[in-house]
Amino acid sequence: MKTRVQILGFVTAMAISGLVAGCGSSSGPVASSGDVIKLGAYSVVREAFHDALIPAFQQHWKQKTGREVSFEESYNASGAQARAIASGFDADVAILSHSGDMNQLVQANRVAKDWDQNATHGIVTHSVVVIGHRDGNPKGIKDWSDLAKPGVGVLYPDPKTSGGARWNINAIYGSALLASKAASGGSPDLAAVGDLLKRVQANVVNMDASGRQSMASFSERGIGDAVVTYENEILLRKKEAKPIEYVVPEATLLIESPAAVVDSSVEKHKNREVATAFLAFLTSSEGQKLLADYGFRPVDPASPALAEFPKPAKLFTMADLGGWDEVQTAVYGPKGLWTSIFSDQGK
Amino acid sequence: MARVETKRGGGDTGLPDLALRGMTLGYLGWMVVLPIVALGYQALAAGPQAFLDAVLDPQAIHALKLTVVTALVMVVINVVMGTATAWVLVRYEFPGKRVMNALIDLPFAVPTVVTGLMLVLLYGPSSVLGTILGQYGFSVIYAQPGIVLALLFVSYPFAIRSVQPVLLELDRAEEEAAATMGASGWLTFWRVTLPTLVPAIITGAGLSFGRALGEFGSVILVAGNQPMKTKTTPLYVFGEIESGNKQGAMAVSLVLLALSLGVLIFLNLYQRRWSPEDGH
Repeated sequence: MKTRVQILGFVTAMAISGLVAGCGSSSGPVASSGDVIKLGAYSVVREAFHDALIPAFQQHWKQKTGREVSFEESYNASGAQARAIASGFDADVAILSHSGDMNQLVQANRVAKDWDQNATHGIVTHSVVVIGHRDGNPKGIKDWSDLAKPGVGVLYPDPKTSGGARWNINAIYGSALLASKAASGGSPDLAAVGDLLKRVQANVVNMDASGRQSMASFSERGIGDAVVTYENEILLRKKEAKPIEYVVPEATLLIESPAAVVDSSVEKHKNREVATAFLAFLTSSEGQKLLADYGFRPVDPASPALAEFPKPAKLFTMADLGGWDEVQTAVYGPKGLWTSIFSDQGK
Repeated sequence: MARVETKRGGGDTGLPDLALRGMTLGYLGWMVVLPIVALGYQALAAGPQAFLDAVLDPQAIHALKLTVVTALVMVVINVVMGTATAWVLVRYEFPGKRVMNALIDLPFAVPTVVTGLMLVLLYGPSSVLGTILGQYGFSVIYAQPGIVLALLFVSYPFAIRSVQPVLLELDRAEEEAAATMGASGWLTFWRVTLPTLVPAIITGAGLSFGRALGEFGSVILVAGNQPMKTKTTPLYVFGEIESGNKQGAMAVSLVLLALSLGVLIFLNLYQRRWSPEDGH
């Protein structure tokens, strides 16, 4: 009996691992001739790329050069994707949630140091951090501090696994930090900033592994009263006719997501020309218009499409907070504000 | 639980026999031992201080405690209910018994992530059951009871399948003797039947405990994943890998591995002691 049970367990384990492996990377049909681009992207841009940008670029490339280009697409959590590329996944173009992850690729010698030396500083999409709430806003959520009120169930993913969660927590951290700096006219009251983070964290119901899962928990499973997320995630739901009401807090963070050509891969595949062209297409007016259809704000501040998006009263950037490296240490480092929420509990 | 004994026969020193033994040993070494050695080596490579720092992190300690405590709660429930289920399956005849017997192995065939999803759908805060429980102040999903439920599901068959064969082979003469001497049904069970079942129950408990220590797929959906609250060790390890803290992930993995290995070794020694064939 024991052997039978164990064999059954083993077969199940094999079946499950097969299932997982099968989901790991999606790959389209590969044309035997013509150009091929391997795309290593973060999961949030999947719909925009798969359904709009890639088909449009294929047409554009054909008109321009007469050649066919096919794509092998892989979408994964930003951090996981960056680690995969850093340790050898030969994606030609990397599209990640934030520059912190892109820096990993620079350190691993996959992406050139000057990747952000172009017209858009390496950034291909903009968005802002917003709060989605239930219809009619029964809990009266308008700003970050409302997330700390008793009885408000909050959702954001785990910053250990999700780039989106880092944007979310950075937005709450940044708004409190800048407000505190403005009030004191100089040095911020870090204890008060940490306290807000702590009280919001205490209201968090569930920390999903990714931003996408967090949205699913909120809308499909009806969990929580508020979800902190990218604006484009909410606008995508609207496009799919599953709208979620949301507020743009008075002060919020500009989400700047980068893309770059992976040098080591294009040298191996000899496709630098088409990969560079694809990257340029993303920030072209046609590319930016398609991205705006999927809820991403244009990177060009002069773009007329920007008028369609609500304008936050105070919009700050990661540079205003000191840049990715500084925030990573100040918030998530061993003595960071977010980390100390939990280490204090251990005492 | 009968241990598999080596059958000694003639002709086990020929070249094909040696090659077969070498191959299977090599296969075990390659598939099982080598990855463990790789983890152990890497986890300790940075020195004992780095290892200790990683293991003594308050979040890591909390995760380990939570993992062990939820596993132990599960084991207690599993052992009681599993023994009762095995008893019913062996001692009673009733319609639907065959179906019940077949259903018991089902948890092994369900992908653990599906288990998690099923539990969220059933007990989640917005489900009918979750709403009713919520009104009485119970939260199951995104709280510790959810972890125990998930562990109970994935380890459901272990206790039953350990006890059932022993009950089937049990010589009922002793029970009958006890009954003729005037012992009540309960006393007979307690004094006569249960002691013979103990080794099987311990085995079932050990197997479920070992299984629960590493459970990831179902727990990540139901636990809530909150540090110092509902983050079990496998979830902690996953988070540390994903956020680039390789040392923390490896060190805590090694502790978890040592725990599982400890359970397995204990079971092996225990079975050897109780096995009638070679219990001297």
